[in-house]
Amino acid sequence: MTRSEPLLAVADVSRRFGYRKVIEQVSFEVGGGDVLLLIGHNGAGKTTLIRLLAGLLSPNEGTVSRCDSFGVVTHDSMLYDSLSARENLQFYGRLYGRHDADKLDDLLRRVGLHEHADRHVITYSRGMVQRLALARALLPDPDLLLLDEPLTGLDDSASGMVREILSEFRTRNRAVVLTTHQLADVVDLATDVGYMVAGKLTAIEPVEGRDARAVTMRYRELASNV
Amino acid sequence: MSSSLWGTAFAVAAKDLKIEWRTKTAFASSLVFAVLVLAIFYFSRDSTVVSELDIAPAAIWVTFTFAAMLGLNRAFLLEQENRAIDGLLLSPVPRTGIFVGKILGNLAFVAVVELVSLPLFSLFFNVPILHVLPSLLGVAAMATIAFVTVGTLLSAMVVRTRFAELMLPILLLPFLVPPIIGAVQITAGILAGRPMSEFAGWLKLLGAFDIAFVTACLLLFEATVEE
Repeated sequence: MTRSEPLLAVADVSRRFGYRKVIEQVSFEVGGGDVLLLIGHNGAGKTTLIRLLAGLLSPNEGTVSRCDSFGVVTHDSMLYDSLSARENLQFYGRLYGRHDADKLDDLLRRVGLHEHADRHVITYSRGMVQRLALARALLPDPDLLLLDEPLTGLDDSASGMVREILSEFRTRNRAVVLTTHQLADVVDLATDVGYMVAGKLTAIEPVEGRDARAVTMRYRELASNV
Repeated sequence: MSSSLWGTAFAVAAKDLKIEWRTKTAFASSLVFAVLVLAIFYFSRDSTVVSELDIAPAAIWVTFTFAAMLGLNRAFLLEQENRAIDGLLLSPVPRTGIFVGKILGNLAFVAVVELVSLPLFSLFFNVPILHVLPSLLGVAAMATIAFVTVGTLLSAMVVRTRFAELMLPILLLPFLVPPIIGAVQITAGILAGRPMSEFAGWLKLLGAFDIAFVTACLLLFEATVEE
């Protein structure tokens, strides 16, 4: 895709589990420089939508088109507990064709795990696992990041690291779609907010200087109309 | 640049074997199981009624098959922890490469179990095998490829079910029957020193099973892991 084309295009996507419709007729596009924040109550379908965007689930209806280079962080780390951080990245590096040991070290430094790189993941705290999951997502140097609750378990310093990544993606004309309940930590870096209510993307609106409280009030207003 | 099919396969197999080497969970339980089965067959045999050569082929193939099954389940259980399977599926690699890697890892695991079991088998049943070792290894390889390939595919299917460890043997059993019967018949013929022409039909069955089911499993894997 050229930069004039969206990095992610979602058209009328729906997904059912059995008879239960979890995602209903969701459509939006994300281009370079966009940071789309998806918010919604528990069970609104945010995680399912991220999995659909990543291609881990197939939509029952509609289409998802995304750029070839993307990284994903979900609730699960997708890491191997019996391997060290370095070994996990080396393994994924082989799959992504990223064999440069120096670049892997840089990535570990970036997420603050270089000193712990040779410890097995099973010895890591929740926050350290999340940092490594981010490193795994950044391994292919992606144009698009899909992040499902990336701030869970992170301390202030690690949250700052996520903010740096979001800021960098904006300035480098790349894109991020993320879900979070910790609005205050990231709303100032978002370009747009998507409001998810009961599986529907009720609205996507530019952030335009709104703070977390204003976004929450807008969500409640939209949710009450559904 | 993404990995090729074989690059992916070797990366996945190496990762699986590294993890198994560190944890030794499946390996230890398979070896203990193998020794136990051989011992039970040995001590349960009435030597005045049943000769060693009569029971030996069954003993070795029961040992190989069920010891291998202990390891087959683990192949995709490993990917269920932290949903590492999603990480594999998100990678720009051919999915067939992931499956081939899992097969290679399982084959290596089962091969080690078989290579450790064979001398024990020879010891327990007083059956000399050195002079027929290449033939034995050949038939072991053919039968093992068959049930490891099918077992790997089925383990990918059942791993997300509630009773995965129960489901795998139940689903695998019908597919095991042709190659195991063939392997037992050929092994009996080899150990008895009979000419190969006597069991050529079983060899062809085993070969045909390998070709048909390896092909089918390679084609079906992608559908197995899609949600």
